Amino acid sequence: MRTEPLIDRLANELKPVRRRTGWSDALALVVLCAVELGLFLAMGMMRPDMPTAMHLASFWWKPASLGLIGLVSGSVAIMSLDPVRSPRRGLRWIMALIAVCLASGWLLEPSRDGFSTLTSRLDWVSGLECLYTIVALSVPAVIGLGLLIRRGAPTDHAGTALAAGLAAAAWGAFVFVFACRFDDPLYVAVWYSLGCGAVTLFARCTLPRLTRW
Amino acid sequence: MRSATVALQPRGYGGVVQRLSARGSGVDNHAWNAMMVAAQAGDASSYHRLLSEVVAWLRRYYARRLPPAMIDDAIQDTLIAIHEKRHTYDPTRPFGAWLAAIARYKWIDALRSLKAKPTEVLDDDIPVADHEEAITSAWSLERLLATLKPAQSQAIRLVKLQGLSIEEASKATGQSAALVKVNIHRGLNRLTSLLRSESDAD
Repeated sequence: MRTEPLIDRLANELKPVRRRTGWSDALALVVLCAVELGLFLAMGMMRPDMPTAMHLASFWWKPASLGLIGLVSGSVAIMSLDPVRSPRRGLRWIMALIAVCLASGWLLEPSRDGFSTLTSRLDWVSGLECLYTIVALSVPAVIGLGLLIRRGAPTDHAGTALAAGLAAAAWGAFVFVFACRFDDPLYVAVWYSLGCGAVTLFARCTLPRLTRW
Repeated sequence: MRSATVALQPRGYGGVVQRLSARGSGVDNHAWNAMMVAAQAGDASSYHRLLSEVVAWLRRYYARRLPPAMIDDAIQDTLIAIHEKRHTYDPTRPFGAWLAAIARYKWIDALRSLKAKPTEVLDDDIPVADHEEAITSAWSLERLLATLKPAQSQAIRLVKLQGLSIEEASKATGQSAALVKVNIHRGLNRLTSLLRSESDAD
């Protein structure tokens, strides 16, 4: 096929388009997340000891860290939907932010008991439940970001999918914070990291295949 | 946040477009920006003109990066990508950078497809006809004919090498038919004796 007939066809098919902007994508994502959080709390999933927990620094560490990671990751993912923008530098910032958040959690409540209480602190049964719930709560954000990626034009699929996976995972964990009765930084670091890691890995593996253009 | 996701424009996008503009390709970034904005609003004639101009740029872009057989496919893929993703163009930024990013993305796609469809590796020893003997023979014959008298070499060349008849050679050289025969006979004898003497010397 020669290019002239193709140009004729594309010009004939031309229709006005609504420009994509980062702000409109961000707004759509915020609305989706707000609806999810509202539904989650409306279903009575909030932890019963919330008034007490709100006096603990380790409680506030969880939503602050996860919210910040989710905000930065989501912004990086959305901005990388523009073909001229790469998410690579943003991803490096996210990794540094995750390291800072984990380190701040350790500073907040360093382990003084060594490894003797490790098993009880990690609480495998509750931990697996947390992991499963975080993955489930991340699904709407993964789908929303996947749709935005399909509409956008990312030129670094792997990087964008990674940022989207981190954003969705952090959001799922953020929502779960309001239901989780564990505030031990070690517990959070292990089980939340595993849950977020699973979501990120899933997004990294599937989104590039579904969003090629 | 903006600094966290710095616009990592792949190196040389703007430069490439500007260099091509300077070379008289008719590329005008401002005009392209305006045409793309009009295309986003549904102006088909601006869009047609824009794509026609973009094709020339893409041809040069891919000519330096892809095998000739893949250039047309890559151009068409890029045109379709431009069409499908035209809503992602931001008018506040240069169209050239946006185009270059898409062209580069499609170039990487083309390279990936090249990897998926491996070409046959050619053997180092490709069998081709050996012309050495023919070249050597022609050179040796010319050298031998040069040792004969001009009338003899001319007669041999026309009749024995070019395949003319005695009569045709006679007309071509102005010699009588009998003289052509004599010159051929004497010339061949002379060549035979020359070859014998050379082989004896070896």
